[in-house]
Amino acid sequence: MVQSKVDENVRQRAHTDSVGNALWSVLRRSDTSVVLAALILFVLFSFSNSSFLTPFNLFNVSRTAALYVFVALGQAMVIVIGGMNLSLGAIGGLTVVVAGWCMDTMGWSPWIGVPAAMLAGTLCGMFNGFIIIKSRLNSFIVTLASLFIFTGLVQGISQGFPYSNIPKDFTMLGRDDFFGVPYLFIFAVIVLIALGYMFKFRVVGRRILATGGNLEAARLSGIRTDNIVFLSHTLSGVFAATAGLLWVSRMGSAQPSTGTDWLIISFAVAIIGGTALNGGEFSALGILASAIMLTLIKNGLIMLNVNVYFEQTFLGVIVLLAVSVESIRMSLDSRTKRTQTDTP
Amino acid sequence: MLQIRHITKSFPGVRALSDVSVDFTPGEVHAIVGENGAGKSTLIKIICGIYAPDAGEVVLDNEPITLHAYKDALDRKINLVSQEIQVIPKSTVAENIMLDKLDRYLSRGRIDWRRINQDAARYAEMVDLPVPVTELVAGLSTAQKQLIMIARALSSDARILIMDEPTSALTRHETDNLLQLLRRIKSEGVTVLFVSHKLEEVLAVADQVSVLRDGNLIGTRPIAGLTKEQIVQMMIGRDARTLDLGKLDVSAGRAALEAHGISQAGRFHDVGFALHRGEILGFYGLVGSGRTELAQILIGEARKDGGDVFIDGKPARIHSMADSLFKYRMGYVSENRKEKGLILSAPIRTNIAVTVWNRLCDRFGSIQLAAETATARQFMQALEIRATGPHQMVSSLSGGNQQKVSIAKWLAAQCDILIIDEPTIGVDIGAKEYIHQLIWNLAQREGKSIILISSDMPEIINVARRILVFKDFKIVGEVRNNGEDGARVRGYEEISQEIGQFLA
Repeated sequence: MVQSKVDENVRQRAHTDSVGNALWSVLRRSDTSVVLAALILFVLFSFSNSSFLTPFNLFNVSRTAALYVFVALGQAMVIVIGGMNLSLGAIGGLTVVVAGWCMDTMGWSPWIGVPAAMLAGTLCGMFNGFIIIKSRLNSFIVTLASLFIFTGLVQGISQGFPYSNIPKDFTMLGRDDFFGVPYLFIFAVIVLIALGYMFKFRVVGRRILATGGNLEAARLSGIRTDNIVFLSHTLSGVFAATAGLLWVSRMGSAQPSTGTDWLIISFAVAIIGGTALNGGEFSALGILASAIMLTLIKNGLIMLNVNVYFEQTFLGVIVLLAVSVESIRMSLDSRTKRTQTDTP
Repeated sequence: MLQIRHITKSFPGVRALSDVSVDFTPGEVHAIVGENGAGKSTLIKIICGIYAPDAGEVVLDNEPITLHAYKDALDRKINLVSQEIQVIPKSTVAENIMLDKLDRYLSRGRIDWRRINQDAARYAEMVDLPVPVTELVAGLSTAQKQLIMIARALSSDARILIMDEPTSALTRHETDNLLQLLRRIKSEGVTVLFVSHKLEEVLAVADQVSVLRDGNLIGTRPIAGLTKEQIVQMMIGRDARTLDLGKLDVSAGRAALEAHGISQAGRFHDVGFALHRGEILGFYGLVGSGRTELAQILIGEARKDGGDVFIDGKPARIHSMADSLFKYRMGYVSENRKEKGLILSAPIRTNIAVTVWNRLCDRFGSIQLAAETATARQFMQALEIRATGPHQMVSSLSGGNQQKVSIAKWLAAQCDILIIDEPTIGVDIGAKEYIHQLIWNLAQREGKSIILISSDMPEIINVARRILVFKDFKIVGEVRNNGEDGARVRGYEEISQEIGQFLA
């Protein structure tokens, strides 16, 4: 029944005019539903809670959403080539600790501390990428191991103590705003636009997507896929480091526990934002919408006085829902393809 | 008695079977033959319940049956020995033979291994498996694994035993044993469906033969009185063998690609050949004979331990497909386009432009989307790719059109040398002829130098005028079919016999 309906759809699609085609392609986009969901949630909260539309709350929501964007980008960079980075949070944590150690323990200026922390995160990403392409192991097992390596470094260096003496001119980035819009949010939007551009218009972006679509075919089409895999993991490290630094800047202190909750956040935002789990698809708009949506849900849970200790349970359920929807979308999509792959 | 009546099955873009009806009599070996893509596999899969037919029915003992899965077929004692080896390496031979009925050997909650081994040994003996049943499967040869699969099918008392290319991994001696075994099985009233490319075996063992071509049943004949030539005639049709694409004069051509003394540990030893400019050179041999493996070395996808490759007379250092493409303009249309040739989830546009993105950039390094689409359109037109537009997903194209897309990206890249690996597997006859003509035109009109790898005899004989025959990672012979002026000088029969002699 479903099958015949889908076939009907496909047949209709072939015959409808270009307006119909355009509408169909919008509906088929993986990010349409999350944008709609975020909008609906926003409207719902605006009506149901008088304190939601206050500048203070909006400021906070957009700041958290911006941080989620960077965390999600760290994951999206490797999901897009069909991989994953379980060590993302640990890289973030290590970045935070390096930044704290430089600025607090050593008393260096942010001009040294920030680049040093960025470098640490980037090197972690490069380490993952290097091991993956040289060992030919999959990213799951490699980043699982490096998760422990990096976590150990975080705990070893910090001994578990936070670094609280962070210079004011650095925390400005995480706390101040430009006409009511947090710098963090503006920064996130700029980076998303740049990435959207990269994946659509730059050769390297296209090659990343091609590698994610079919690594073997990409390599046999003249793409140096090892370089692409390495690059993706490096970018993952860069975004983990960025997220870590912004976290420090927002909190005003460097907490070694930063990043411990990133695993679920990063997958949740990236997947709900339309990054196809088996690679080859990226949506900047989707990631923004999904970061906002998750922040709103979190915000809403607090307003509803839900016990915050259950937060991770909610996130987990949302991720499950998102991947279920994704898998339904994929199977609907592939209904028409499946028989193709079976062709003798 | 098993009958299939008016079976029709289509896949998008390909009609795999149309209105096929065959009766399979108990106590007979019934051979099903046809070229690649003729519909044999589809037919078998319908009988086994793996595919549902679009129209028509499978009738068992005068009763139409509906099979939803292979399990339904098994319940009716229809057994398939498939082409792919399906064994559990870390289990014993006995376990693998008795795999689907281990639960019958439970006594008081424990598996009675002694009884399993005893029973398994009986079937192992039937297929002449020369190893003890307590041996682990992991260390066995492919042929021995295949014998295990056959023993497994025998152990389930099949009424209808379907064998899909059962001898492809077997030695001469093992094959003879198997054929002997099939004769014995049929005498017990079993219906044996025997799918094979090897017509000698068909002639030796079958009672009836059904010939498929492009999804149509050409005919079912008693084997008595049939010759191999008559079967071939039915399989490929007359026109396919007399097709003459014209003249291809390469006598003045320099070598576009030369390989000297190529070696690879455990495989190649001192292999060399030359490909002339504007030539179509055939690599013929069975899968695993070294054709594709040599191509992999040429494009830098596999390491060579010794030897040199020259392109346009200059030594070439190629360590990856990227080197091959960007430094030497050598492209590779891979076999198995779905896994290695195409990004199925991406549109035609991406799949064609993937090799030329860096040429489509404006001065700021941004890919010009209009140029990308135009490139895709240009080659879609040139190769007559049937699609709604450059934005259509490749996964929804027919096999022939997918193949054209995977060729198109190398044409877009303006490659001078093209290695084309099994280009017509799973494409219908019309697209097949088109692709043959296309390859021919690329060499003749555009002077491209082409290596055509194929295990399809008519294809290689019609399209290539010089054929290297591969066997066991060696080039065992060279067959020429080029006259003074580039015209074809010898007929299909003569060439195919010469190739056959090299392979014998």
